[in-house]
Amino acid sequence: MILFILKRVLYTLPITFAVSIVCFLLVHLAPGDPVSAFLPPQASAEVIAAVTHELGLDRPLPIQFLHWLSRVVVGDFGVSIANGRDVFDEVIGAFSNSLILASVAIPLAVAFGFALGAISGYCRGTLVDRISTVVAIGGVSVPHYWLAIVLVIIFAVENNILPAMGAGPGDSRAWSWDWEHLRFAVLPAVSMAVVPMSIIARTVKAVVAEVLSQEFVRALRAKGIGSFRVFIHVVKNAAPTSIAVVGVQVGYLLGGSILIETVFSWPGAGYLLNIAIFQRDLPILQGTILVLAMFFVFTNLLVDVLQAAIDPRVRRY
Amino acid sequence: MNESAVSPNLDAGHIGTSKNSRFRETLYRLAKDWVFIVASVVMGAILGSAILAPLVATHDPLSISILSRLQPIGSEGHILGTDELGRDMYSRLIYGARLSLAMALLPVFFAFGIGTGLGVAAGYFGGTINSIIMRSIDVFFAFPSVLLAIAISGALGSSTTNVILSLVIVFVPPISRVAESRTTEVVGLEYIDAARISGASDFTIIRVHLFSNIVGPVFVYASSMISVSIILASGLSFLGLGVKPPTPEWGVMLNTLRNAIYVQPWVAALPGCFIFVSSLCFNLISDSIRTAMDIKP
Amino acid sequence: MKNSNANKALFNRDPILKVTGLNKVFGRSKGFFGKSTSLVQAVTDVDFEVYPGETLAIVGESGCGKSTTARLILRLIEPDSGNIIVDGMDISKNDALELKHLRKSVQMVFQDSYASLNPRLTIGQAVMFGPRTLGLSIVKAREIARETLSNVGLDPTRFEGLFPHQISGGQRQRGNIARSLAFRPKIVVMDEPLSALDKSIEAQVVNLLCDLRDQYNLTYVFISHDLNVVQYIADRVLVMYLGKVVEIGDVGSLFSNPRHPYTRALMASVPSRDPKIRTQSAPIMGDLPSPINPPSGCRFRTRCPYAEDICGAEVPLLTPQKSAGGNQVACHMEKIGSGHSKGGILDE
Repeated sequence: MILFILKRVLYTLPITFAVSIVCFLLVHLAPGDPVSAFLPPQASAEVIAAVTHELGLDRPLPIQFLHWLSRVVVGDFGVSIANGRDVFDEVIGAFSNSLILASVAIPLAVAFGFALGAISGYCRGTLVDRISTVVAIGGVSVPHYWLAIVLVIIFAVENNILPAMGAGPGDSRAWSWDWEHLRFAVLPAVSMAVVPMSIIARTVKAVVAEVLSQEFVRALRAKGIGSFRVFIHVVKNAAPTSIAVVGVQVGYLLGGSILIETVFSWPGAGYLLNIAIFQRDLPILQGTILVLAMFFVFTNLLVDVLQAAIDPRVRRY
Repeated sequence: MNESAVSPNLDAGHIGTSKNSRFRETLYRLAKDWVFIVASVVMGAILGSAILAPLVATHDPLSISILSRLQPIGSEGHILGTDELGRDMYSRLIYGARLSLAMALLPVFFAFGIGTGLGVAAGYFGGTINSIIMRSIDVFFAFPSVLLAIAISGALGSSTTNVILSLVIVFVPPISRVAESRTTEVVGLEYIDAARISGASDFTIIRVHLFSNIVGPVFVYASSMISVSIILASGLSFLGLGVKPPTPEWGVMLNTLRNAIYVQPWVAALPGCFIFVSSLCFNLISDSIRTAMDIKP
Repeated sequence: MKNSNANKALFNRDPILKVTGLNKVFGRSKGFFGKSTSLVQAVTDVDFEVYPGETLAIVGESGCGKSTTARLILRLIEPDSGNIIVDGMDISKNDALELKHLRKSVQMVFQDSYASLNPRLTIGQAVMFGPRTLGLSIVKAREIARETLSNVGLDPTRFEGLFPHQISGGQRQRGNIARSLAFRPKIVVMDEPLSALDKSIEAQVVNLLCDLRDQYNLTYVFISHDLNVVQYIADRVLVMYLGKVVEIGDVGSLFSNPRHPYTRALMASVPSRDPKIRTQSAPIMGDLPSPINPPSGCRFRTRCPYAEDICGAEVPLLTPQKSAGGNQVACHMEKIGSGHSKGGILDE
């Protein structure tokens, strides 16, 4: 078991390295001179050259990469081209906002997803099952950014129940877990949760239905073992796959938060990414992509380890 | 000739099913699936309108009329209302379908070709080649697809071509994986060995023996990506990374109409409805095909 | 016994297939850094010859390396070392010309009749693939395919257009045979071709193989674990154990006078149809050792009732080819002065 964890962690290293290369290359493959993008248009060629040299952008790519990597590893992500602030602080700050949103969205997705899936799985073929299947397919096909807009229309525009944008009342940049702030998170979280919820529901339903159809269960029931025990059995068998799917969805959730955050102007990592793209703020761009990707890699690692802890079959690596 | 020339000692369970009749069987099952029929009809209507846009649209999608800005659905002369610059929504949605669907279908198409090629190469040649191809592809799995698409589009700059390119990069890895695993399965079977000892070139073996045996599941998997592609492609445009206004396209329209939600909310939501409906139809269609072909998801 | 029409004075002719020093090790590296590498010694120092027109059977229990040897001869797997000379040409080097010679001269029939046929091709198409690859026109290829199909007992007008799942196991195996014969090869290697068939079908197919052998003037390398069939169809038999050749000889003398202790045990385990002969229990002790770490010296020594120290210290070599009627044996008891207490005692 420990060996498996160690191997799995070790496997993360080359992936991390590859991810960092991709992050680095991504922004450097962009057409157009990054320097002239943020300098005033009248800047002379000498000024451009000087700034380029100062930022180290005229050195060969591999050298730039190593230079960048050596700084990133110690947490120095550089300085934002747009507003001069420390990239690391900006990104971490934005990321923590995204996490706040995720921490509301994930429980929603997991709870409703499991409930929907389990009910479907238990009551196969009934009306309840058919309804939840329809809901699930709808949920999987819905563009979450559109759903966000529709929710805003319903709850903010037509009926002024919930706010349409922002992450807190007034200009407050600090978050607190009270309803004053949480009400801002409701609509974004719901929009983010629908797709993962549907995917989780679909997977859970399939697993539950499969477990219930096993002869094992019929034998248990024939022996007179109560439904509760059967339920425990179902949970134990459905757990590994379910955890896997939740893990994957968590990863995607954070990666795809950019669209929802844009709709609601929620100051998360996705929102930051959006701004950085349009301002061609390379350091922020690199920093955000790196952090988001690393989080995804980390989530995958966690899911694999968790799965191995629960399902001994996985450990035979 | 196939059906009549059946020998007396047959293997149980395969009576009378040649490759042709399996295809017919699938079609027969699909024809009884009303969900499939409804979804296909709707999708067909949208696609048809997109292709025949000049004939079906009522207005020029680009003609501005400040006076008739943001007319509601059901207005005179504008069945689906007008947008923030007075342009007819119905016509813009029809023309928008062209770009939105093209940006969704083309990447899947290209990714299917590239992904199958890579997967087959990795599976057939095995060994080092397999490791190189599949490990390189693994790197892309370290990124959530949305992030990858946005990062690539963002890096390359906003244009339709870049959206298609970035989506191709997003879809090639999962398709390659499916192709590689199926190829590896088939390559382990003796008829590939038999083909190898015939002295045929690798290319011939792949073409004659391998391809038709793997393409089915890979195709079904690729087609299940279409609905995701629609959402991603329009999403990228929504962020401003794809088509630029005033070109009509569902994602871009959804974006420019955002402020209009306070004035004409349901007109503003229209482009998204189309994205949703298209994605839903493709999902239903691909699910039905999969069920009819008995391939487990 | 339906042996071939080959001249009994086989040893005066040049072998059509000659294998020397064939070796294959499969590596399985465990661990992320590949620290512990488990190597499977699948085939070690295998030498044998096959003469034109004869049927050489290769026997042994599962995992002894017979299938691997077959695949090595056909270069489906690349040998680590060794020479394979087919009809005078050494095909173990990687020359395109030599490979082409190999493909035309040697073909293979596999065990699993269902997996050996492409489910998407008709039997006709499958059989035609060979001649087409050899460069013949579609018309000529179809002609050859039809002729071959009828020679294996499948009426081409009926079976040409059928798919593998539409015909029975026996018919499929005939199709496989037709597929390999369409190349008009000189040597056909058969890897347990009858194992998946019902006994009644098996008899038909065996007889078919014998007829085809005469009709097409074929040489067979017949791999099987079924000693009854081997006795029926083979001229000479090669016995393998854990990747090594332990005995080669005429089918008659091998069955009546097996010399290697392993061969003796094998022969004793063959159920006899004669009620007067009671099957004796095989005098082999223990289980098959793992091919990853085979016993040193003679690999059979861990189960051999006559094992002595010399057996663990030195690898017994195959005795040289004797005159007709004598078997080649790889056992320390064969030679006088080998160090074994019974050295030479079997040489009666």
